[in-house]
Amino acid sequence: MSKPNIRIFDIITNTTIDREMTDEEYAIWSKDSAEAAERCALIKKAEDDKVAAVEKLAALGLTVDDLKSLGL
Amino acid sequence: MAKQTFTTGQVLTAAQMTSLQQTAMGGGSTTAKTTSYVLVAADAGTVVQMNSASATTITVNTALFAAGDTVQIQNVGAGVCTVTAGTATVSTSSTLALKQYDAGSLYFNSTSAAIFFAVDAADGMTNPFTTTGDTVYASGGTTPTRLGIGSTGQVLTVASGIPSWATPAGGSSLNYTLLNAGGTALTGATAITISGITSKALNIYVAQGGSVNASTEVTLKPNNENNASLIYYSLTNTTPGAPSSTANCYLAITGNNSLNEMDAQINITSCDTAGRKPLISFGAGNGTNNVSYQVNGTYNGNAITSIVLNSSSGNFDEGTIYVYGGS
Repeated sequence: MSKPNIRIFDIITNTTIDREMTDEEYAIWSKDSAEAAERCALIKKAEDDKVAAVEKLAALGLTVDDLKSLGL
Repeated sequence: MAKQTFTTGQVLTAAQMTSLQQTAMGGGSTTAKTTSYVLVAADAGTVVQMNSASATTITVNTALFAAGDTVQIQNVGAGVCTVTAGTATVSTSSTLALKQYDAGSLYFNSTSAAIFFAVDAADGMTNPFTTTGDTVYASGGTTPTRLGIGSTGQVLTVASGIPSWATPAGGSSLNYTLLNAGGTALTGATAITISGITSKALNIYVAQGGSVNASTEVTLKPNNENNASLIYYSLTNTTPGAPSSTANCYLAITGNNSLNEMDAQINITSCDTAGRKPLISFGAGNGTNNVSYQVNGTYNGNAITSIVLNSSSGNFDEGTIYVYGGS
């Protein structure tokens, strides 16, 4: 299985290298990526819950503004 | 008076007594020399006075003097006169090179070992001060030199190897230059590294960064260090459910088409030293999630020599990262 690519620009030599991640780089990126996926899932769930709640309100003939009027 | 061997019943003359008195006072019989000279036994108890405009030597050999003998040596000429160990040893805590009007006493511990006790008032430091606040430093190796007091607010610094007073440079004034000329394209890779950083501060701008996947978190990591405890954040955001702290510098979420991209700016100071470094970042994703963040915190780690921009899922497919270094 190939690893993701990394692009490295070296300021001192003014050169760019494109290559596959090393095992160490891949391990760090994988850990970070897994944590990011969890955060993205939380944000997506919050967005989905919001959409679902709006749909439930609409089914009851209510809107978000109606809830605001009630101070909710 | 040259060293004598007295015999029982000998009668001292007035002239001898006068000469003995002079010798006891450090003077006495004086032999003037105008060229380099090798001491002889008859010099014991006398003064050898060199007077030459050019450099000369006075050589000390063994088996000429007895333990306890002394020879006074003076240099009244402009040329340096050097007391030189011939076959005898000559020790001193001072210098054996006598400038004009330097002098000293050559005292023999044995027939082959002498000590030169210099009497050299000129070696003492002449007071160079003229004004309140003056200081002194060594120039030309050992020459005491006056450094006049600086003006209010100046600090002592070093220029060309000598101290001087100078107005301090402004501590907070940094000039930023683009370190990666033209920027580095965010395409064809999941991680973009900028290495070789030596700047005191960094101003990083991510322009219209995008990923091939629909929901991708973009983060920035100094030194790519795999230690979550290295970074602490206070974090405000516009979307509930976002993390309150993270091991990376969270910038935004981006998406997979030209309408789903993110812009961000990150400022980090004190980059060239280890320890806590203030960090501020602003990021905004435009498109799928419209998530934007402001991160204030510190990065606590080594001096920053590289930064890595990570896409959490899939390659970047658009955008540019510009890294400005402050010095």
